[in-house]
Amino acid sequence: MPYPIENRPADLRERMYFPEIIRGIGVLTKHFLRNLFLTRDKNPDVLERRRGELWSDNATLQYPEERAPYPPGYRGLHRLVPREDGKPRCVACYMCATACPAQCIYIEAGEYPDDPIEKYPVKFVIDELRCIVCGFCVEACPKDAIRMDSGEHTPPSYERGAQIWDEKRLLRGPPISYQYDPWLRRGSPSIPADKLEEMRARAKPFPTVATDEYAQTPGFSVRALAQEAKERAARPK
Amino acid sequence: MNRLIGMVVLIGAVVAGLVGLSAAFYLAAGGLAWVFAEYLGAPPSFGAAIANVVTLMLVVMMISGSLLTVAERKWSAMMQNRIGANRIKVLGSALGGIPFLAADALKMLTKESAPPRGRTRVLYEMAPALAFAPVFALFAIIPLGPPIPLGAIVDSAAGALGSAGVALQVASPDAGLLYIFAISSLAVYGTSLAGWASNNKLALLGGVRASSQMISYEVSLGLSLVGTMLAYRTLRLEEMVTAQGLAVLGPVPALGILLQPVGFLIFFASAFAETKRAPFDLPEGESEIVGYFVEYSGMKFGLMFLAEFVEIVVLSAIITAVFLGGWHPIVVSTEWLRQTVTPLWFGAICGGAFLAKMIVLMWLQLTIRWLLPRFRFDQIQKLCWKILLPAAIANIFITAGALLLDPSMQLLAWIGVATIVIIGAITAAVGRAPAPGEHDHAAAHAVAGH
Repeated sequence: MPYPIENRPADLRERMYFPEIIRGIGVLTKHFLRNLFLTRDKNPDVLERRRGELWSDNATLQYPEERAPYPPGYRGLHRLVPREDGKPRCVACYMCATACPAQCIYIEAGEYPDDPIEKYPVKFVIDELRCIVCGFCVEACPKDAIRMDSGEHTPPSYERGAQIWDEKRLLRGPPISYQYDPWLRRGSPSIPADKLEEMRARAKPFPTVATDEYAQTPGFSVRALAQEAKERAARPK
Repeated sequence: MNRLIGMVVLIGAVVAGLVGLSAAFYLAAGGLAWVFAEYLGAPPSFGAAIANVVTLMLVVMMISGSLLTVAERKWSAMMQNRIGANRIKVLGSALGGIPFLAADALKMLTKESAPPRGRTRVLYEMAPALAFAPVFALFAIIPLGPPIPLGAIVDSAAGALGSAGVALQVASPDAGLLYIFAISSLAVYGTSLAGWASNNKLALLGGVRASSQMISYEVSLGLSLVGTMLAYRTLRLEEMVTAQGLAVLGPVPALGILLQPVGFLIFFASAFAETKRAPFDLPEGESEIVGYFVEYSGMKFGLMFLAEFVEIVVLSAIITAVFLGGWHPIVVSTEWLRQTVTPLWFGAICGGAFLAKMIVLMWLQLTIRWLLPRFRFDQIQKLCWKILLPAAIANIFITAGALLLDPSMQLLAWIGVATIVIIGAITAAVGRAPAPGEHDHAAAHAVAGH
């Protein structure tokens, strides 16, 4: 926090130098003793930490053990959203691969042998080294089948090959069903009847407004910024 | 709260450990003295000195010197609200960063030695040893513990042999403090030769800076202790320590810091400059010239690095002996303690008190190192020649005058008390205290461009 310091020449006491050093030792001693005797709050959310009083002033985040949570709108590692029966929601429409500016998505479509209509990705590979984390694939997906809501970044690796994520590694996270999912509306031979009922019961209405609850960072909104800009432009100069 | 209890227990354990360590040192010194006297007919001081070389100079000095490398990281972290080195874990516990000691040693010892072309070979190889050896030798005259009769340590020693005193002190030359001045002035050779022999401009610059700084500060270093020599009428450190146990103002013992507060400050500042650590670290000056050891790698660098920390240990020991009452445990009366416990435990407690004082002083030196930024070179020379030197000379005259008027040291003690009170009052007086508040912050916003 900047604050103005009156810029006057040093007075006699300061020019004697030693008293100021003794005072400085006092300040360091205070910090030393506090951090020696008092416990450090290990809350990974550093701003929420208890400090002062009976707690150490330490604000260090011990990284591998304590990780700062990413904000809710964080575009993290991709995941293929599964259905409740463990299969991907993806219908291999290639829209994400088409939208991808880095061309890092490779899809091979296949068909369920027992279902004449549905397609599914036999191969769904994302090269995380080429990915520029723009999120266009998430925007493009008509089935909400690919998301970047895993809240983690791509884990580092020693080999390039480990950065190529296939459908087996990408398919994870909580399953999602919508009421308008075709396999729920007309049923699918690949889904057992009782499982289908359960999925239907859990299904959510498909969002009609393009708001993504996972991409809403509190206190930050593209729309609000746009509104502000519009008002600024409309204001008479 | 758990940490609070844990730390209090730990500190208690450290103090108890120091006492136990001193007891072990006494046992070693007494045992070896008895063996040499009994089987070789040597005087008891002979065996005790050999044992003390091993225990005091190798165990105490080297271990505390190397522990300080870890302490510097951890303590500076605590002063700066950080955590500090804790990534090496033994069985899941960081152990306060102590495993870093092993890692550092391993690194230093296995690192490739990359000597520069065009070096002056003999001097280049000799410089680390020349930097380290004088510091190492300084510890020889530190009286770590009081003399206790050999009979109290070894039961089978009797008669004249049994009443011979065994002290935790390697050597006690008559020259005493002069030995310290003589040896510590040799330390400059290591640094300036390292700078000269490396065939490197930056190293040479570091060596030149080191020599000019160390030679300047040797003057005030020597003069600052003249007051103590006058007051205690001796040069021998163990006699100074004994004299500091005598009461001067009522029950208050005649501590050096009480009689010579100005001398203490001057000596501390000068000796700090001799250790070449911040704020006097111009010879190293990592950010401008890398320093006189820029061309050294591996354990040769490690030796110079360690010499600095050993210098801290030695400086703490000298200050403890000369100014802080040496092995007298100030909190309890030495005489009362001598009559209450057995001689061995008396010696052990006194030795523990000395070590505890040393630890506090080492901590103080690290605190100052993290408190102040590096001085400019002209500031260093100005501090030495224009402030410390005149102050030291004035201190000598005032001390000598006070002792002429009142040989019982009472007047000197009163002058010292007055000085301490004045320094304390000036320190406590309100100076420029930046107190950022709402108002100040608002004012900052009002500044154009903010």
